[in-house]
Amino acid sequence: MRFRPPRRLTRPMHALAISALLAVSAGAHAGTASLQQIVHARQEHFHMLGRTAKSLRDQIVRSHPDWTVVSDDAHRLQQLAAQLPSWFPAGSGQGHGVKTRARALIWRDPRAFARAAHALFSRARDLSRAAATHDRRTMLLEFRALGHACGSCHSRFRAHGSWW
Amino acid sequence: MRAAASPAGVRVRVWDLPTRLAHWAIVTLFALCWWSAESGHMRWHLLSGYALLGVVWFRIAWGFCGSETSRFRNFVRGPRATAHYVRKLLRGERDGAAAPLGHNPLGALSILAMLTLLVLQTSFGMFAVDIDGYASGPLSRWVSFHTGRVFAHLHAFNFNLLLVLVALHLSAITYYRVVRKERLVPAMIHGRKDSRSMLPAPYFAPWWQAALLAAGIFACVALVVHLR
Ligand code: HEC
Ligand code: HEM
Repeated sequence: MRFRPPRRLTRPMHALAISALLAVSAGAHAGTASLQQIVHARQEHFHMLGRTAKSLRDQIVRSHPDWTVVSDDAHRLQQLAAQLPSWFPAGSGQGHGVKTRARALIWRDPRAFARAAHALFSRARDLSRAAATHDRRTMLLEFRALGHACGSCHSRFRAHGSWW
Repeated sequence: MRAAASPAGVRVRVWDLPTRLAHWAIVTLFALCWWSAESGHMRWHLLSGYALLGVVWFRIAWGFCGSETSRFRNFVRGPRATAHYVRKLLRGERDGAAAPLGHNPLGALSILAMLTLLVLQTSFGMFAVDIDGYASGPLSRWVSFHTGRVFAHLHAFNFNLLLVLVALHLSAITYYRVVRKERLVPAMIHGRKDSRSMLPAPYFAPWWQAALLAAGIFACVALVVHLR
């Protein structure tokens, strides 16, 4: 696969996030100072995931989507999903003195977490394939499946906010 | 009809059907919105949210062009009148024969606050971006991801305020029941009260007026929901 630098990676914030991530994957374990950076970078990645998914959704709910945007977004989702497990180095979850919603369960049951991440990847791949057909109905269905992949991982591995 | 001189007064019609229906629809739909959000049934959440949006706007419109006891003009009072009423309430005095039939000034405050927060709640929801299953509001397309998340947080925060108001509302009703022996709930069900009021019977709007208004409002809601 040819690597195209994603359009939205050019913003300084994201460059920062990526370099933090690279720094993390280079050194195996991190101290508290960089722990903050890891978590920050992870949240930036998730925001990018969210923005991309929203951008795609905003197209397919229209009667005449811009299919170029749709297929770019679908590919980017697939790339991000493939990277997702690397955003969770050991020791970067709750209970390490850093503000995060990543539950310790992620590292206690790594196989289940990997499965949840892979489910997202598969749904993103289906979405990319469906994008080629230019069929809105299929896309909406695939997109709902993608949403379930986000939601079911969050309900298990992301701590809930205390909105009450 | 019973004699006007009976101690409990006469049975008079107070709330019209549209007002009562709107009230109980708000209660039911609020519960449905709450349950569906908690359990992640976001399809139901959006559907019951749209319905609630319509009912809330209907009630607001009915407050301007509905029956006399439902009109804001007839029960919303200024701070001075409200304070006067509260003092009377604390002294345990009852309403005199000149007291109007409908809501008292405190009830009016509660209605205004609840309708305002319900308008905010439903409006925030329309723009909210969801990350746990992609049930984003129908207008979220017009805002950025970040703004949509801000709306989602406002939506969650405002919900807590609504819960506080609901609790206040229920305590007030209990207070009237226990301390003043006034049964407000049955009146909101069958629409009648025993009253000593000597004022002439209030005006009631014809049912087709409510039907037309509701049809118009729900058509608008459907339009907004399908705005792409
Ligand atoms: C394999 C599990 C998993 C999947 C799949 C997943 N997420 Fe998450 N997500 C998480 C975890 C864990 C967190 C908490 C991260 C933290 O707080 O450090 C999170 C946090 C987030 C955040 C909040 C970041 C912040 O600022 O706190 C967003 C936005 C987000 N995810 C979007 C998505 C979207 C959109 C999808 C689907 C396209 C998705 N996620 C799929 C596990 C997942
Ligand atoms: C007064 C009626 C409503 C009530 C009581 C209500 C209540 C709630 C509650 C309690 C949540 C969960 C918040 C959280 O845990 O983060 C929620 C989420 C949500 N609601 Fe509503 N809601 C109402 C109306 C609406 C309407 C009209 C819409 C628009 C269609 C809407 C759209 C949403 C969305 C998209 C979410 C998800 C936000 C997220 O996941 O962060 N709601 N609602």
